[in-house]
Amino acid sequence: MATLKTRMAPTRPYEIVYIFDSALEDATIAEKLEKFHTLLELAEPAEIEHWGRRQLAYKIGRHEAGNYVIANVKAGPATLPEFERALKLDDSVVRYMVSLIERVLGAPKLSDEELAARAAAADDDDDEDDE
Amino acid sequence: MRRPKKPCPITEAGIRFVDYKDDRLLARFISDYGKILPSRLSGVDARHQRQLAKAVKKARFLALLPYVKGQQG
Repeated sequence: MATLKTRMAPTRPYEIVYIFDSALEDATIAEKLEKFHTLLELAEPAEIEHWGRRQLAYKIGRHEAGNYVIANVKAGPATLPEFERALKLDDSVVRYMVSLIERVLGAPKLSDEELAARAAAADDDDDEDDE
Repeated sequence: MRRPKKPCPITEAGIRFVDYKDDRLLARFISDYGKILPSRLSGVDARHQRQLAKAVKKARFLALLPYVKGQQG
């Protein structure tokens, strides 16, 4: 199944969550992101979402807060090992996670507006039923 | 006597697939100690419970949720 998918599509959609050192400035982060993303050899620019500084739920080493950045990219699986190596070597990356987006409908886009829209739609349906 | 089935709160919220980044949502389904609530308490349906378990584990790794709550250090 997996091999079939890969054969059909040379790139796959990934979601990358970075947690940067909270002391880092936005400009530095943008610079680093660009550097990392060049390793992925992206055909189209990454969709980047900045969450900003956030308290960590538990301490990671000496860090109590982190700068969260979420990037949605379409990359070839072969570029990932080199990309991850660079992330591991960079001390300003507290933690990262790369996950394959298997269900486009689900995880990434449903969070805010769509959810609200769906909730609203459901409410409307209920209203119609009542009438 | 059987109790009437609780509606699944995740289905009711219109969520198809549970998002691990939605820590507000996930926090509703963990106990005071940070454990994942069993579906018999939360009323989550089986499919969403499976998604939820994975989402909570990912969120814990990303320090969005604690592994153990209410503990010092």
